Amino acid sequence: MLKLWGRANSSNLKKVTWLCEEMGLPYDRIDAGMSFGVVNTPEYRKLNPNGLVPTIDDEGFILWESNAIVRYLAAKHAAGTLWPTDLKVRADADRWMDWCTSTLWPTFRPVFWNLIRTPADKRSQKEIDEGAQKTGEILARLDSTLAGRKFVAGDQLTIGDIAFGPVVYLVNNVMPGRAKLANYDAWYARISERPAFKKVVALPVA
Amino acid sequence: MLRVWGRINSVNVKKVLWCVGELGLPFERIDAGMEHGVVGTPEYLAMNPNARVPTIDDDGFVLWESNAIVRYLSLKYGLGTLCPEDPRQRADSDRWMDWSSAQLASTFREVFWGMVRTPPEKRDLAFIEENRVATAKSLDMVDRLLGARPFVAGEQLTMGDIPLGCYVHLWMSMPIERPAHPNLVAWHKRLLARPAFNSGVNTALS
Repeated sequence: MLKLWGRANSSNLKKVTWLCEEMGLPYDRIDAGMSFGVVNTPEYRKLNPNGLVPTIDDEGFILWESNAIVRYLAAKHAAGTLWPTDLKVRADADRWMDWCTSTLWPTFRPVFWNLIRTPADKRSQKEIDEGAQKTGEILARLDSTLAGRKFVAGDQLTIGDIAFGPVVYLVNNVMPGRAKLANYDAWYARISERPAFKKVVALPVA
Repeated sequence: MLRVWGRINSVNVKKVLWCVGELGLPFERIDAGMEHGVVGTPEYLAMNPNARVPTIDDDGFVLWESNAIVRYLSLKYGLGTLCPEDPRQRADSDRWMDWSSAQLASTFREVFWGMVRTPPEKRDLAFIEENRVATAKSLDMVDRLLGARPFVAGEQLTMGDIPLGCYVHLWMSMPIERPAHPNLVAWHKRLLARPAFNSGVNTALS
């Protein structure tokens, strides 16, 4: 069985668990990271010298870096559905995975970090306000792409949506006041009502 | 013919220029971004609502986000060379693209902007130093990896070397203190022996 290391509420881990749940792929998850430790042990560092979560062991093949894991598992188990076989559709989905990591998360991260991981008296309201404003602005780009589409790369749920799920879950549950984005909001409602999303993504924010 | 929008001194454009050079693809490049503007025009935003470079047009298929472009072109034109056919080797290569753009770039970027794009009197030296140390630490892992193999995913150059090579070239070109990293230096020398690296990446620092 697929082995997976990472604490359940890690956004990067959730990409992998959501994917596995959508594919019906059984996995054995081992808690690691933050309060669970593990990631600094020599055994873990042999698997993942980068010392973060998640890491997988797929019948002896070790892989870390969440988006690469999602691509690998989807290609292996979900070609034609979550892993588009059309090269252009796949590149479209793939692009949003990169954008989520390169643009959305770094923009939103200060808001999350201040509001969730920083004691109230040490929060920077300036970072929260600026981060929230910029996040709203860049979500408008995603919103315009979602016009006329059910999911980010077309009418089917793909790896592009999977990478977004855990991050937009935090955005929607943590970020104060944001302008309504009709396409984005409809898409979020569509992904968040999926049983697999409810099971492994929609966990208490911590 | 393949069209590529983006100024030559953008690290993200360099990834694409090196990739098309390795693949031997004829292409036309159009300056865009920073002093060239273009990215804010309605025509450009219709292609790329994210308003950054690079963007490509491959026979009518428009794609942006540099790593997604490198993956798409490598798969379409470089299966068996830049894009490994074996799924595990492909995932291994893929992982270094994600790691370079997400983790390495997050600290590297601050060193680069501080040292290259900020006038000396305006530099925040403590902040640059903090990020220089973090970048060097990230590269320790790559140096160990490259002690065991000539390229990041094995015996030959793959797409996984491309984003990393672009960042490392800039790292090696800046007037900063660096750890010895003999394997990383040897790998960089191997890259410098490649014509496509020289034309696409080894251009003036600015």
